[in-house]
Order: sequence, then C-alpha cells, then structure tokens
Amino acid sequence: MDRYDVIVIGAGNGGLAAACRILNAGKTCLVCEKHNIPGGFATSFVRGRFEFEASLHEFNGIGTPEKPGSARLLFEELGVADKIEWIQLKNAYRLISKKEGYDFTMPFGEEAFIRANAAVHPDGERIVREYLTLCRQIRDAMSYLSAAKGRPDPKVMMEKYPDYMACGSYSVNEAFEALGYPQEIVDNLNSYWCYLGANGNNLSFLHYANMLYSYISNGATIPKYRSHELSLALEERVHELGGDIWFNSEVTKILTDADGHVCGIRLKDGREIETRHVIADVSPHVVYGRLMDSEAVPEKARKLTNFRKLAGRGFTVFLGLNRSAEELGITDHNYFIYDTADSVAQYESMKTIGQTAAQATVCLNNADPECSPPGTAILYMTTLFTDDVWSGVKEEDYYRVKNEIAAAMIRRFEEATGTQIAEHVEEIAVATPETYARYCGHPQGTVYGYESQYYDGLMNRIQMVEEDHMVPGLRIGGGYGERLLGYPSSYKSGVNEADRTLRDIGKEGM
Amino acid sequence: MAFQRSKVPGEDIRLAMEMTQKRRQLIEESPADPIVWEYGVNRLAASLHPGFVKAKLCSREPVCADCYRITFKSLREDGHFPYFRAGQFVTLSARVGDSFLTRPYSIASSPKRAMAGELEIIVRKTGIFSSWLTEEAPVGTELLMGEPSGDFCHDSIRDKEHIVGIAGGTGAAPFLSMMRAITEGSEDFRLTLLYGARTREQILFDPEEFRDDRIRIETVLSDEEAEGYRHGFISADILKEYVTADSTVFLCGPDAMYAYVLGELGKLEEAPAGIRQERNPVGNRILEKPETFRLTVRIRDNVKTIDARSEETLITALERAGIPAVVRCRSGVCGFCHSRLVSGECYIAPENDFRRAADRKFGYIHPCSAYPMSDVEIEIPIFDAEE
Repeated sequence: MDRYDVIVIGAGNGGLAAACRILNAGKTCLVCEKHNIPGGFATSFVRGRFEFEASLHEFNGIGTPEKPGSARLLFEELGVADKIEWIQLKNAYRLISKKEGYDFTMPFGEEAFIRANAAVHPDGERIVREYLTLCRQIRDAMSYLSAAKGRPDPKVMMEKYPDYMACGSYSVNEAFEALGYPQEIVDNLNSYWCYLGANGNNLSFLHYANMLYSYISNGATIPKYRSHELSLALEERVHELGGDIWFNSEVTKILTDADGHVCGIRLKDGREIETRHVIADVSPHVVYGRLMDSEAVPEKARKLTNFRKLAGRGFTVFLGLNRSAEELGITDHNYFIYDTADSVAQYESMKTIGQTAAQATVCLNNADPECSPPGTAILYMTTLFTDDVWSGVKEEDYYRVKNEIAAAMIRRFEEATGTQIAEHVEEIAVATPETYARYCGHPQGTVYGYESQYYDGLMNRIQMVEEDHMVPGLRIGGGYGERLLGYPSSYKSGVNEADRTLRDIGKEGM
Repeated sequence: MAFQRSKVPGEDIRLAMEMTQKRRQLIEESPADPIVWEYGVNRLAASLHPGFVKAKLCSREPVCADCYRITFKSLREDGHFPYFRAGQFVTLSARVGDSFLTRPYSIASSPKRAMAGELEIIVRKTGIFSSWLTEEAPVGTELLMGEPSGDFCHDSIRDKEHIVGIAGGTGAAPFLSMMRAITEGSEDFRLTLLYGARTREQILFDPEEFRDDRIRIETVLSDEEAEGYRHGFISADILKEYVTADSTVFLCGPDAMYAYVLGELGKLEEAPAGIRQERNPVGNRILEKPETFRLTVRIRDNVKTIDARSEETLITALERAGIPAVVRCRSGVCGFCHSRLVSGECYIAPENDFRRAADRKFGYIHPCSAYPMSDVEIEIPIFDAEE
C-alpha cells in the first residue's frame, strides 16, 4: 500500500504511542524509523554479560495496580499494560552535595518523605508538610485544567486553587524565595531539578512542584527488562492492531501540496508514500529545518522554533562491574551527586567541556538484583551539557575527551560514596552528545527537547498548543512536545497529537 | 497557607495571567530566519558514523599462501574513512554471483591513515566472498564498506595500561592496527603481542616495522624451529612471562586457539586483570540429518519465500537467495540484524545469544546467529544503502 491515513515519523516513545492511538481508532498507520530498532532513547544495549539501560532512571506515573498512576492508565488505554512487568522502587533518592556537606536519603510516600526531612532541618517536617499541601493544590489544579479541556471556570480556579494562580508566573527560585524556607530544605526539595534540566531561575515552579509531588506521592518504577521492553510492547501492539513499522527507513522529506497541507512523505531511498496526516516524533528544528522545504515552512513556525532554547545535551557513563553492589558498598539505587546544591551554579558548570558539577547515578541492581549475573553490578552516571560545547570536538580527540570526563565522574562517585569501583570495570560504554545526535538526530545531541524556560514552560505550552500548530496535516509530538521531556510526558504527548490528528481527520470527513 | 510573592495585591495573579501573552510577544519578536538543525556535534556524528562508505579496492598483495593485504581508498566526499578505535572492524558488501554478501574484517591500518583516506585489511581465502575479494575482484572495484564497529579496543578506564595480545593467523590484524596507532601517537599503552604461526612463511607482518619501547612482539612457531622465534604453542610457560595482574589479555584468532589459550591462562598463578576476546562469525552447524525449510521474509511491504537449510544461519539463507541483508558482526553480538520472528522456531546457541532480555520476551532474533528449526517467517530491516 502506498497510502496511509497517518504516517508517524520516528518510533520513539511519542511516535509509538501515537501510532497505537491512531490504529485503535481504526485508521491505517505506518511508522517510519531511521534506526533498526524502536524506542529512540527508550532502548538498551548489550556489552559482554551486561545489558545496559540507555536512558531511563525511574519511571514516574505508573503507580500500583491498586492505585494506578496516569501513565499506567494510558498504557491500559493503548493496550500494552499487560505486556510490561514493573519493578517498584524503594527510595526516591540519595542526595550527596559536597559544598554543603549534605547526605540525605529520601523515601517515597508523602508521610515518609515528610518525616525524613527532620534530618534535613529541625523544622523540616512542618515545612515540608506545608510544602506538599501546596504541591497537592497545584496537582489538583492541573487535573482540573486538563479535565476542563482548555475551558476552566475562572471562579473555580480562584476559589479552589488560589495558590496555584498566585505562583503561576514564578520560577522555582522566585517561589522558594517567597516561601522563605531554610536553605537546606530548599536544596533538598530542589534535588530533582536535573530531571528537567532547567535551572531554578528559569524553571517553572508549577512544573517542578507538580513533578516532585508526583514522584513523592506515586513513587516510581522501572520496567523489568529495561526500557526496550516498553518499546517492544508498543511495537507488538502496533502489529496487533494491523499497523506497519518500517525500520532503517529514514524520512527525508515531508511533502506538502499547493495549499500547504501535508500530502505525503519521501524516504531516503526516494520512495514516496501518500498521506494527509503526519505525526512527527522529531525535533521541530529537524522538521522545519530539514524535512520541509523552507518555502513550505510558515514564517510563524520559523519564529517559534528560533524562540525555543535547546535543552540539556546528554552524557552517560555505563559501567558493568565485576563485583556485586553489596561487595562494593553501593547501597542505593538512585543518587544525585552534586558539587553544590545550587542549580544555577550547576547549570553554569555544564557550559564547558569537562567535569560538570552534577551527576545522577543509578545502581540498577539495587532496584532489580537480577539485572546482571550474580557477583556483578550495573552502574550508570548521567550529566548534561547546557551549551553546544561538544560541537568543537575533533574526530581524532573524541574518544580521549569522553573517557577523561567519564574517569572524572567515576572518581567523583567514589569520593562521594566512599566506594572503590574503578578497579572493577569489566565493561564500559560512554554516550556523549555525539551519540545522542547519532542515534536520534537531535540538534546538538540534546536529550531533553526544548528547555523549560520562564516563558516556554509546561503551562504556557499546554495553553498555546493550538497556536503552536502551524502546518495543516502536521502534528509534532514526543519529547519536544507540549508536555516537555520525560517518559510519561512523551507518551502522553504522542497520544495527544494522535487525538488532535483524529479530530483533524474527522473534520475532513464532514 | 496562602502563597504570596508580590506585596502589591493582585499582582501575583496578574503576572500569571500575562504569561501566554508575553510568550506570544517573544515569539513574534524572534527572528524568522531559516532553522538551523545541524551543528558541529551532528556533523561529528555523521562523520564518525556514516553507516556506509563507498570504498575502492586500490591494491592487493599476497603476504603468504592464501593471505592478502588489501588496501582501500575512501570515495567519501571528504576523502576520509571515519576515524576509528584501533582494534575495530569494518564490513564489506558486494554482489558475488547470485548472492549479496557482507563480511566483517578487522582493520589492520591505523586511525590516522583512515583520516588520509586509506584503510587496510588482511584477508585469508577461505570461502566465496574471500575468494572473490582476493582473486576475482579487479583492482578498482567499488564496494560498500560498513562503518568501523566493535569493542575490541584498548579502553583507558576498563583495561590496564599493559595489554598482552594473543593472536593466531589473521587475528594479528587488530593488533597491527593497535601497534600502528601506538607508533603514530593516536593510542598510548604498552602492547606485548604473542603471535602464533605455523612457520616463518606464515607470518603476516614484519616485526621490524614496530620499533617502539611500548611494543614487544614474540612470535611462536608451531611447525618450525628457528632462531629468534619461540617454538610450540602459546602455553602457560610463555604466558606467565608476560601476563600479570597488572595486564589485560586480548585474544584474536581461531576458536581452537581460544579454547587452548583460555585453558593455559587458567593455569597461571597470577591471573590477568581481564580477558577480552574478539568473537568469530557464527558458522554452519553440524547436523546428522540436515533439512530444508521455507523461510518467509518480510521487508517493508515486500514478502519473499526462500529455502533455508537447518545447518545454516538465517543470514546465510538470505544471502544465498540474493536478498540484501543487513548484517554487521555475524557473531550474534552487535544486533545490527535485529529482526522480528513472526512465526516458527529457531535455534540460537547460548554462547552466541547476545540479545536483549526483552528481545527474548517478545520474539526478536539476530538472524546471523539463528538456525531455522521449522518453517520460519521473519521481518527484517531493509538494507538502506545503495548497492
């Protein structure tokens, strides 16, 4: 068949979720993926006797079967919930910050988290209880807005969610300044900032508070067989629903007709396939800069894209160790290891090539002891670069530069935790912005889409999603979408764009 | 609680209400310039990992009976081959007779020479492709070369600064690349190469090429006694002179050599810090009663049915049928040929099974290491380079 109702470009989280939604609605759908496997960043790779998770640290939004989170409900709707085995994580994180001398281990669960803050500050329990109350209101307001589908009752908003309204314009740092909490508490509550990658001066407080609350109240999970399990579950669902996925099939052009409406796509080998609707799980930079002829790109789309700021460029060290976590004294699953707890200072340190001031480190065996053979452990350490600093690296220096930074990250982990791991590295892989650019084609090797900026944060994007849609027949979802980066966000974004596409198709039929 | 930041009543909410208008204004004030999607990092990725490079066979000389040194020139626009890590391999693809074949070969030349557009491999004439490459393909033939791959490389974090390399036959190739890399300054570690050959005539390189304090070569001849050479096999007696806990052992050669040397390494009082071995392609298996099954192959919206013999891997069946098959390492490791098993049963030897756990759960295979056990239907990725 050389014609589909919808063509999805990219089998990433957003693309796969979108395809399932389209197919569930009885439309024909083809997914074109340039790589030979699905998932985009949601994947894994094998080195020797280890299978490394490529990107996922912890998945928030699954909850438990009894108390399902929004992502579990979404997977149920898509028909993949039964295909995935989840492992519940015990603790939220361990924060170690050198400058302030912090070493806090924080559990999941509201009450447990509140109590653990007594170790952070003498008045920690009271303050964090108050803080979570504010977060809960923010979460409830967002649920209400989502249910109101863009038509909230202003009276309800003012009466039920006054604090949500009052902090709506502020950054994390502005909001905490107004709250006047002690610095230790603020620093601890800010631990998760690196999951969003925008510093406290820019990051929307609403967005951050909602995320923290979601983690603490719902807990987090990981799929038993790495995120590749999620991607294959969705791929299997696409096949069950009669959809097609073509691998090694890079789309090089989105074709538009005289009216500027999408009319097809062209593959790298020149083959063209007709469609009136494309959902691109691709960076808008690539869509408007590469996949469309510049005359076909509306001026407004160019302005919008040039307005955006590319977010964190990824860097990860994957280690297969020939000793168990227990033998090595690695006690926790999820570490935030910071040189300073100040997110602005961390962010600034990420603007030069070298060791940054922050790393998130996961020891997978402390979530799933069976993830590697007995007597071994898997550790992965991630940081970000907040500027395009890798663009100057030469081919012949590349392998040396990445190992220098990897070695420094290993040393910092050893210093922060008092462990010895360097002697036990049996397998290593180091992913840099070059790696992420290679596999997913993102400009500058970004892994976080567009940065959550003061005026380009979650709430703004959601409210303006129809204004940001510019080319008829073309919807853009995934990690660059209105819900920003992250696993649950990119799945949800894909589904939302699929729903909008289905509405577009519905209108054509009338 | 009541959140308040501004002392001006109503100011907090007014600011919140203005957010979208402010965003609208900032977008309007942004430049309407064409969108830049490609940056230095993207160009670096494209240069290091082009997928395939067109290469021209530019020289071929015999080095010993059955073995040839073959040099290629890059036909890429910039004239380079991708920079690589010494020890990596490339693939060569070409149509030979009715088959479309792809074979991996360790690179023997250095990374800097790749930047000058030259790449050398050593080929022993053993099968259809190597016979074609060493005897039939005229100098000047253009082939498709897969980008440098593999992890048989010195890693400054994982490996000790002293590598004891153990090679047999053409297994010397990755070590030649490493020694050349050390000599030219693109790698910095010490390499002791224990090289096993039957006779002096079988030696594939001139040790005199490598005059560097960091390199030491011991050639061990099994079928000949000669001055300046060790005699016998690479046994524990020889190994113990070089292998210490402060060294990492790298093995490259035939499987029989691995079995023997691993046994000998096990006898050492002082074990090396690590042992790494380059895996050999998965070959035919020996069956008492070979059978022929039907293999249905889906590529995008094309479906073909071909024969598949139970003693041969699925990749071999595809190649025999002239279907351009995506494959790289041929040893089950790299996952480049990752395919969906739609129906049927396959045998994958546990030692060749490097699939991800979820691949096993959902029924995906690497056809380079899977033998059919029934009629089989698979969906394979398309070969996405021009032949």
